[in-house]
Amino acid sequence: MEPSGLEAIGAAAIDLFQGGRDLYSVFVRTLYYTLRGKREPGAIVGQMYEVGNKSVFFVTVVMGFIGLIGIYQSGTQAKRIIPDYTLLGASYLQLLIRELAASVGAMIIATRVGAGIAAEIGSMVVTEQVDALRMCAADPIDFLIKPRFIASIVMTTVLIIWIVTVMFLAGAVTAWSFFDVPFRTFFNFSMVKTGDLVIGFAKCIAYGAAIPVVSGYCGLSTFGGSEGVGWATTRAVVNSSLAVVILDLMISTAGFFIFFSR
Amino acid sequence: MISFRNIRKSFGPKQVLKGVSFDVQDGEVFFIIGASGVGKSVLIKHLVGLLCPDEGEIWLDGQEISKFDEEQMYPVRRKCAMVFQHSTLFDSMSCEENVALPLRKHKKLNARQAIAEARRLLDKVHMAEFASRFPAELGDGMRKRVAIARALTLDPTYILFDEPTTSLDPINARRVDHLIRELSNSLGVTSIVVSHDLVSIFTIADRIVMLYKGEVRLLGTPDDFRNTTDGVVRQFTRGLAQGPMDI
Repeated sequence: MEPSGLEAIGAAAIDLFQGGRDLYSVFVRTLYYTLRGKREPGAIVGQMYEVGNKSVFFVTVVMGFIGLIGIYQSGTQAKRIIPDYTLLGASYLQLLIRELAASVGAMIIATRVGAGIAAEIGSMVVTEQVDALRMCAADPIDFLIKPRFIASIVMTTVLIIWIVTVMFLAGAVTAWSFFDVPFRTFFNFSMVKTGDLVIGFAKCIAYGAAIPVVSGYCGLSTFGGSEGVGWATTRAVVNSSLAVVILDLMISTAGFFIFFSR
Repeated sequence: MISFRNIRKSFGPKQVLKGVSFDVQDGEVFFIIGASGVGKSVLIKHLVGLLCPDEGEIWLDGQEISKFDEEQMYPVRRKCAMVFQHSTLFDSMSCEENVALPLRKHKKLNARQAIAEARRLLDKVHMAEFASRFPAELGDGMRKRVAIARALTLDPTYILFDEPTTSLDPINARRVDHLIRELSNSLGVTSIVVSHDLVSIFTIADRIVMLYKGEVRLLGTPDDFRNTTDGVVRQFTRGLAQGPMDI
């Protein structure tokens, strides 16, 4: 029998609560193993290569084009209102560091890295490899998620610094090509404050931590066969992106009150 | 000794096990048989804590283990190894690394000691020359033997085999049967085997339990199964397409 409207809402709320509780449990256990567990440098380096090196080309192309389009649109709008480009580079760099590079970059990273993590762990679940790990006294959180967690925090930070560079350079070339803004004018760091750097760095760490935890949780909660793996992958990308947006809101709000409210 | 007492398990609205009870004696080769989806694999996963029963008790060597948490289960998993249906070797590891993993985690051996021990065990199942190969490079029968080597790493008292001969050719299937019998005869290992393979069942089983519709249908020796008048059991053990079984 199909549940009634109220029952369906109740069931969805219970599912959401249980999912949130399980995700929190995965996060706490990942932190526990990261701080207390045995270090396996080989596994971490391997994952750093997967998360970082293999994403470089993808994020460079995507974020380079976003940087190009972003500065072209900003310049076009500015031309209509105040045709003065002296602060175009400075305000663009502040926006990149505080918000754009980390948040949009993390969503792009989530599509590649998050999907990969969920698909790999999900396949291991449906082929009973995760059960076999548990039989070997290897906690799947320790064995599968911890190396990805550490690697992702380090390499997401590195990638986002790279993304800032790529987007700023793409913006500089666009500003020079379309609006005749000299590089010397565009390369203006005067608007970047310590608060911007702290907020940007906090976002790198938070997003780097969230993507493997959310994706790993989606992978571990896979059920069924190949269809289940497909669902887990989709959920990983959607939920990781959602986590990035929520963390963005929280960190930006906290940053505003700490650094910019006075 | 292992005792399953009134085990019940449901997945959503579907009740798979409806009060299953039986004992497995030390040193015997005990088969669990029944149609696909009847809950055979589900039942043995309860023994090593991969699933928890909704109701009922599981006793292992005088200890009730069904409520154990993950860490309490580690000693149980040292005692009860499991060979999964599809071998479930880790794709990203070579054969020797697969076999070494439980030695590193359970016995806390360092990597070099674990690999040396893994090679010795692979030699025992005639897989030493493939030690550095990855699972994807091996055939089904070879993967199964590596999985058995991995199960042997911790000198288990009990080994659970989940359909060990499924997907193997008849020759490799009989080799695996021989290995299971040999483990029982020479090392005194108790084997619980989930299987559909009628040849295996009537060649190496000491005792057999048949599950039907989530309950025990018949428990006895191979001779009991050969001589039974129960139409359901006869249909299954003779592999007949027509009969009273409702599947």
